[in-house]
Amino acid sequence: MSPQVYRLVVNGELGPRYASAFTGMTVSSASGKTEITGAIIDQSHLHGLLQRIGSLGLTLYSVTPLDDGNGESGLHGDPAASS
Amino acid sequence: MFTRVIGAHPADWGHARRAMSSGTEETGRPGLRVIEPKLMPPRVHPGMLRRGRLLAALDGEGGTPLTVLNAAAGYGKTTLVRSWCIERPEAVIWITLDPADDDPARLWTHLATGVERLGQGLGRGALAALGTRGAPAEAAVDELMNGLVRHGRSVTVVVDDLHTVGSDASLRSIRHAIERLPANVRVLASTRSDPSIGLARLRARRSLVEIRARELAFTVEEAAQLLAHERIALSGDNVGLLVERTEGWPAGLYLAALWLRDLDDPNREVRAFAGSTRAVGDYLTDEVLTALAPDRRDFLLRTSVLGRFTPELCDAVLGRSDSAAVLGELAASNMFLVALDARGEWYRYHHLFGEVLQLEIGAEAAPELRRRAATWCTAHGLVEDAIEYAAAAGDAEMVAELLLEHHLQFIWGGRLEQLLGWIRWLPSELLVSHPLLPASAAAATAALARPEAEVQRLLAVAEQARRRRPELWSPYVEAGVEVTRAEAIQRGDVAAAVEHARRAVAAAWAGADMLTVGVLASLSQALFFAGDLDQSRKVAVDAVERPDAPDVTDGYVAALGLLALIDAEQGRSESAEAWARQAIAFAQQRFQANFWVASLAHLGLALVCASTDRLDEAEREALRGERLRRTAQPTVGHAHALLVLAQVRVARSRLSRGARDLQRAQRLIAGFPDPGRLPVIAAAVEHSLAATQATAGNREPIEEPSPAELAVLRGLAAGLSRREIGTQLYISLNTVKSHTRELYRKLGATSKAEAVARAEGLGLLEPSESPG
Repeated sequence: MSPQVYRLVVNGELGPRYASAFTGMTVSSASGKTEITGAIIDQSHLHGLLQRIGSLGLTLYSVTPLDDGNGESGLHGDPAASS
Repeated sequence: MFTRVIGAHPADWGHARRAMSSGTEETGRPGLRVIEPKLMPPRVHPGMLRRGRLLAALDGEGGTPLTVLNAAAGYGKTTLVRSWCIERPEAVIWITLDPADDDPARLWTHLATGVERLGQGLGRGALAALGTRGAPAEAAVDELMNGLVRHGRSVTVVVDDLHTVGSDASLRSIRHAIERLPANVRVLASTRSDPSIGLARLRARRSLVEIRARELAFTVEEAAQLLAHERIALSGDNVGLLVERTEGWPAGLYLAALWLRDLDDPNREVRAFAGSTRAVGDYLTDEVLTALAPDRRDFLLRTSVLGRFTPELCDAVLGRSDSAAVLGELAASNMFLVALDARGEWYRYHHLFGEVLQLEIGAEAAPELRRRAATWCTAHGLVEDAIEYAAAAGDAEMVAELLLEHHLQFIWGGRLEQLLGWIRWLPSELLVSHPLLPASAAAATAALARPEAEVQRLLAVAEQARRRRPELWSPYVEAGVEVTRAEAIQRGDVAAAVEHARRAVAAAWAGADMLTVGVLASLSQALFFAGDLDQSRKVAVDAVERPDAPDVTDGYVAALGLLALIDAEQGRSESAEAWARQAIAFAQQRFQANFWVASLAHLGLALVCASTDRLDEAEREALRGERLRRTAQPTVGHAHALLVLAQVRVARSRLSRGARDLQRAQRLIAGFPDPGRLPVIAAAVEHSLAATQATAGNREPIEEPSPAELAVLRGLAAGLSRREIGTQLYISLNTVKSHTRELYRKLGATSKAEAVARAEGLGLLEPSESPG
């Protein structure tokens, strides 16, 4: 399976300490939600991330696969801008 | 470093023996030490709220064997179960699972130790089974259930953090246990996700109670009680606001209580919190950590890399000397530090809080702290923890060094999956520089009955390492590799098995004393199948006469069984029977369930009984021996067992069955590259079958009844009507009639009574022989 970009959204905005919790992923917060976006190499990578979210006491809101470069926008247009 | 390890083996043996006194004392051979904190029920902090409605819910389901508390991190699962246990009179066995319990041997070693501590001897059978090569985890589970039945009194088994286990093997063994739980045992399990242990079926049978986040969440009243206990003056509206904002999440409310208790105006702070859009845990952890003195905060952050810790370990890792005082103070004032015992020895952080703390420690500092922890654990005999820390620090050299020194403890403790997991984790560059590592992995893979190709691949890596570092190819490595190769006997190459077993014995004599009993048993077995009975007997005698022989359960029982077989074949009935009974009694004492190595002794006993006219007993023993020898892959041993069974059945005039056993054996033999003397035995059985058929003039049925027809026949023998048989077997009356017609035809019978009598004579009415 080739890598696929996913966007995971958790409830609540996360402070800077969480940037290190999801290495290799872009973490950005706005409007009471936090997006964790990045390339997922396979299913066990995805499951590992979900477990990480659980063990940090975060509430998962949604998981979405993104089509590369189709212009899907984040919660505030450009996720990279705020990270 | 490596030379030191090899040279130090005999000394290691002594070291391991001493370590054993505090650990798996029941297995006879030194395994790994039990990790004590895994068996310690966490202490309940006095500031924890007593949750009457949930305790009552747990009480009220006393008749249900399994209760699962299923909710995300921080829902107070562990605290609730612990509080409940404290208030109950029943004995409690507590186990906290972690990812290393993906090896079922590790999981059940700890549970069996808990049962053993309940009453001496209750866990012994399970512990012995776990240290026995080739015994499945389920055999240990059965032993453990027997131990619990013998205990008789009510026992609560708490399985905390079940979600950390994900391997099929471990989950299968847990499911196996749940299905066989004695009536006096109740299991409470906490988990963050639904475990794959057949919950749907348990639900349908009403054998399961589930307590989920909805129930575990704090109500407004409970939150008010918690805050009042901490003397936090919060208005009713603001308590409601707090519960709404945290959604009743217990971890959030406890953090809020810690934060609010030192504030001048908690009402204002709660309103600010309610109005913020930050994540609950993030907001509250931040507030609690900010309020701590810098030194305390630093202590928390740096010790968070430790899973569980003692003050001494903290001192070693942090380079300070007052950790006992700091931990005592933090544990008294904060719920996020959990004391695991009353003596202030072992602590851990609340999982959730520990995870968040670790985020701040940073990628630079953590490895060094973990390396120090690994060094401390090594010095204190905590082998598994040391390896975990070394691996978490990314220090492959240190992991390799620890495995080189302690691999035999993993193997003898049955922790094969765990050992293989670590060896797989090592970079291949390290494996090809240390022949012992791939060699022990090959031995573990063979003992787990994994596909032959995997074993061969690891042996090839060992050879590669041998070429690169010939000086490290010690007699110990040689003996281990050759005895693994001798398992070729399993694949049916008897001559090769003899050759490799001989080399293994030579290497063991040359300098691997602790492997001697096992390799002698292996050689004796290979010689037995090759047909050199005198040599085989001599080697087996050498094995059983060694003083350390009884410590090597599998080798010892195999050698005794071989002696029984050989003496029976050579007409020394009395000594044969004595060897067989000694082997069986020893296997039962060490390991009460059926033990495959005891197969040889049962077969030997079968031959003795057959030659002394105890034919019923002979058939029973032969059948037992054959069952114990069944494996997924065809083996010489199983073919031999089938031949003994055939021989006994022929002697008992059960000709059709005997002929079928013989056929099965012959089919196996035809597939072996070198079946040794099995074709000779098969020919002899065939000959006596023909002779008996001729003298008895016994007309065998030309066709065997089909399994469906046999099922109908059993119904007829039990005196059921045809209609009843149809109902029982879910088949129509017409089908029953046509099966009956076929039965009459095949058995040459004209009535029901005649058919039943004839079937009985042919042994067709015995219980089904399907394995397992």
